[in-house]
Amino acid sequence: MTADQPAPAGQTDAQVRLGLAGWLRWGWRQLTSMRTALVLLFLLALASIPGSLLPQEGINPQAVSQYYAAHPALAPFLGRLSAFNVFGAPWFAAIYLLLFTSLAGCVLPRAFRLARSAGQPPPNAPRHLSRLPHSVRLSTPAGPDEALACASGMLAARRFRTRRGDGWVSAEKGYLHEVGNLVFHIALLGLLASVALGALVGYKGNRLLVAGDTFANSPTGLDVLRPGRLISGGDLQPFSITLDRFTARYVSAGPERGQPAYFGAALRYNTSPGAPMRPYNLQVNHPLIVDGVRVFLIGHGYAPVFKVTDGTGAVVYDQATPFIPLEQAGLTSAGVVKVPDARPEGLGFAGVFLPTAVGVNGRLASAFPAALFPRVSLVSYAGNLGMDGGQPQSVYNLDISRMHQLAVRPVPLAPGQSITLPQGRGKLTFQGYRQWVSLAITYDPGQFPALISAIAALAGLILSFAVRRRRVFIRALQASADDELAAAEPAPHAVVEVAGLTRSDAAGGFEEEFAELVGQLRGALDRVAPASDAPVLVKGE
Amino acid sequence: MVGSQLANASNFTLDLAIAVYAVAMLGYALDLMVRGQARVAGMAARGAGREGGEPAGEPVPAEALVAAAAPGGLAGPASAGGMSPADLAAFGAEPAEPSELADLAGGGTDAGPPAGLSPGSPDPAATSRWPGSRWLRRAFALTCAGLVLQLAAMVLRGIAEHRLPWGNMFEFIVAISCAAVLALVGAAVRFRSYYMGLFVLLPVVVALGVDVTIVYTAAGPLVPALQSYWLGVHVTAMIIAMGMFIFGAVVTVLYLLAERSERRAAAAGGAGPGGTGGILALLPRAQALDRLAYRAVLFAFPAWTFGVIAGAIWADHAWGRYWGWDPKETWSFITWVVYASFLHARATAGWRGRRAAVIQLAGFACVLFNLVGINLWVAGLHSYAGLH
Repeated sequence: MTADQPAPAGQTDAQVRLGLAGWLRWGWRQLTSMRTALVLLFLLALASIPGSLLPQEGINPQAVSQYYAAHPALAPFLGRLSAFNVFGAPWFAAIYLLLFTSLAGCVLPRAFRLARSAGQPPPNAPRHLSRLPHSVRLSTPAGPDEALACASGMLAARRFRTRRGDGWVSAEKGYLHEVGNLVFHIALLGLLASVALGALVGYKGNRLLVAGDTFANSPTGLDVLRPGRLISGGDLQPFSITLDRFTARYVSAGPERGQPAYFGAALRYNTSPGAPMRPYNLQVNHPLIVDGVRVFLIGHGYAPVFKVTDGTGAVVYDQATPFIPLEQAGLTSAGVVKVPDARPEGLGFAGVFLPTAVGVNGRLASAFPAALFPRVSLVSYAGNLGMDGGQPQSVYNLDISRMHQLAVRPVPLAPGQSITLPQGRGKLTFQGYRQWVSLAITYDPGQFPALISAIAALAGLILSFAVRRRRVFIRALQASADDELAAAEPAPHAVVEVAGLTRSDAAGGFEEEFAELVGQLRGALDRVAPASDAPVLVKGE
Repeated sequence: MVGSQLANASNFTLDLAIAVYAVAMLGYALDLMVRGQARVAGMAARGAGREGGEPAGEPVPAEALVAAAAPGGLAGPASAGGMSPADLAAFGAEPAEPSELADLAGGGTDAGPPAGLSPGSPDPAATSRWPGSRWLRRAFALTCAGLVLQLAAMVLRGIAEHRLPWGNMFEFIVAISCAAVLALVGAAVRFRSYYMGLFVLLPVVVALGVDVTIVYTAAGPLVPALQSYWLGVHVTAMIIAMGMFIFGAVVTVLYLLAERSERRAAAAGGAGPGGTGGILALLPRAQALDRLAYRAVLFAFPAWTFGVIAGAIWADHAWGRYWGWDPKETWSFITWVVYASFLHARATAGWRGRRAAVIQLAGFACVLFNLVGINLWVAGLHSYAGLH
C-alpha cells in the first residue's frame, strides 16, 4: 500500500462496508420474515414447557429445594441451564426479544405503508373483469356514463372509496382489516413493554403486622422485599401503616361452623412520614391503594403476649409474639419465644396457641377459630440458643440442639397465668393475645398499560378477523349490435361488467355481499332507466 | 332435599342427551351409507347419461349459485366456466373457491348426488340452509334435541348448586362438549357443514361417556377460591373457545385425510377430487375443509385471547399479580402461541395446507394437555379438578 495509490484502497474499503451493510440488510430481512417469526413462535412455546413441568424459583422455591434433594445428580445440571428459572433465563429472553424485534421490523413498515395508502384512491380497474373471482354482466337501457355515475353513487353510498376512470369505476373498502391487524401486533409490543416496566421498576413485599404496631414501607420495615432490577431501597413509596384492630367473624352454627364470614383490618395510613393518618378498612379482595402501591390482606393469626423475668429478676422479654396457624378450622397456631439474654442461661419456649381450647381424648385442640377460650401450651428450654454465631435464624424455629428441656408441669396457661421455671431461672407470664395480619405489598406500574395493551390487542384481533378488505370494479361499454345481450334486448345502451375481489375474506361472506351489491346496482340502474325484463348474463365470455 | 333431586334429574337428562347423540351418530352414518350407494349408482348412471348428452356430472359453477341466491331475481343462462386461480395471483387474492359452495351444498342435496357432482342446473335445494337428505335431516334434528337435553342438564345442575355448573372437571367437560356440539350446529347452519355431524359427535360421546363414568363428581358447593363472578367471564370464554377448537381439530383431521387422498389421486393420474372412494368421497374437497377449520380457529382464537385476559384480571384481583407463570397460565400461553403460529403459517407460502394443519393439531394437543395433564399431574393454583 503506497501513498500514490489511494483510489483502490478507498474502493476496497467501500466494498467492504457495502458488504457489511448488505449482510446486515440480509440478516434484517431474514429476521423480519414470516418464516423466522414462525420458528421463533415455536421456540417460545417449546421453551415455556419446562417452566410448567419443573418447579420454579419464583413460584415455589421449596419445591425447587425438594427437587434438588430428590435428584442430586440431575438438578445442578438443570440449574446451570436456568431450568428452575425459565421465565427469567437469558435464553428465554433471547427468544422473545428476537421475536418482538422481528415483529417490530415487520409491523412498523406496514403501518407506514398503510398510512400512505390511506390517502390514495383505489387502483385502476383491470381490463378483463371477467377474470376476477366474482364477476357478473348486466345490460341496461341507460348509457355507459349514466350507468357508471349510478354505480359510483351506489358504491359511495355504501361507504366505498371510489375512483372514476375512462369507462370504469373502481372502489375499495375495509381498510380497518389492516388497521386491526396492525393494532393487534403493536399492542403486543406495548404488552411486552408494560411487563418489562413492571419487572424493572416494580416491587413486591410482605409484612406481618401485629395489632397496635406500625411499619414503614422500606427495606427494613418489610419482612420480605423482592425489588425490580432498577429499584433500590430509597425508591420505595414512603408510606406507613398502623394496624388498629383486626376483626374476624365466623359462621357459628350449622354444618359450616367455623367457616370465615368476614375479615376486616382497621388501618390508619399516611403517604409520607409526618403526614396526617387516614383510616381504611382493609378487606380481602379490597386492597388499599396508596401512592400507586396496592396493599392486600392475605392472612391473619394470633400473637400471644409474653413477659419473661430471668433469674436476676430483670424483665428480659415483654412483647407480642406472632404464632403461625397450623390449620384453618380452629386456627391452632405454633410459635416460639427466644430469650437469649436471660441469666443464668438463655431461655427458649416452643408451643401452641389454641383460640378455643378443648380436650379431645386427653389432647389439646382448638374447636373454633375465634378466641373464645384462649390457652397457650409451652415447653420450656434452657441453654445456648445458637443466636450469636452470626447465622440468620428464623423467628419461628427454636434450635434446641444445645439446650435442655426444663421440668415444668405441662398445664395450658390462661391469660394472666404464669409458669415458674425451676432452679431459680425466672418466670414466664402469658399476658394475653393480640391479632396480626399479613400484608402483601405490590407495586407494578406496568399493570395498567398491560391491561390497555391487552384490550387493544383483542380489539385489533377481532377487527382484523371481522372486516374484509375488498375491491369492486365496474366497466360500462356501449352495447354493440353483435353483442348477444344487445340482440336479446329491444333497446340496451350499455353492457355493465361488475367484478369483486377480496384479499382477506377470513370469515367468509363476500359472495353474499357481492350478490347483494349486484342486486342493488340492478335496482339503481332500473330506477335510472327502467327496462322491461332485463336479463342478466352471468359470467359471459 | 330438592337440590339432590334436581342433581339426579340433571344426571338423568345428561345420560339421555348422550343416548340421543349416539342415535344421531347412527343417522349420520346411515346418511353416509345411503349417499355412498347413490354415488356408486350415480357413477353408473353418468356413464349412461353421457351417451345421451346429459349435462350431468359438471360441477355447479359458484356464480350460478350466487345468481340464484341474489335478491332481485337475478337468474340467467348459466354457462360453465371456472376461472383460473392464476389470474388472481396478481392481485394477491385469497385462493378463490369456485366449487366450495357447490361442494358444501352437495352434502345436503336430496337423493344424495355426491359432493361436487350435483346436476348442472341451479338446484334450489343446493342453496337451502337446511340439510336436503332425509337421514341427514333426521340426524341433525336429533343432534339439536341432544343439545337441548344437554343444556337442560346443565341448567338443572346449576339450579341444584346455586351456581354456574362449571366448577370442577366433570362439569367442565360437560360444558366444553356442549360447546363443541354448539359449534357443530352453528357451523352447520352457517356454512352448511352438516356432514361434520358424525365426526364431531364421536369424540363428544366418548368424552361424555368417560366423564359420567370415571370423572363424575357429585353436585356440591364451589371451593372458596372460585367464588367470584370472574368464573362466569373467564371460564365461560375458555369453554366456548375450547368447543370451537375441538370442532376445528376434527375438521382438520378430515382435511389431512382428504388432502392425502387427493394428493394420491393426483399422483395416480387424476381420478379427480375424492375419486378414491370411501367416506372421503362424500365429503367436500380438502380446500373447503381447510377453510372450515380456519374459520373455527378464527372464532376460537379471539375467544381464547379474551379468556386469558379475563383470567389475568381475575388473578390480579385474587392473587395480586396478573401473570405468574402458574402451570395452567403457562399452558394457556403455549396454546395461544401455537394457534398464533397456525394463523401465521396459513398466511405463509410453503406452510399453508398440510403443515399449517399439523400446527393446528399441535395447538389442540396443548388444549387437551392443559385440560387433562395439568389438572391431574401438575400442582398449581388452578387445582380445582375435584378429583382425588
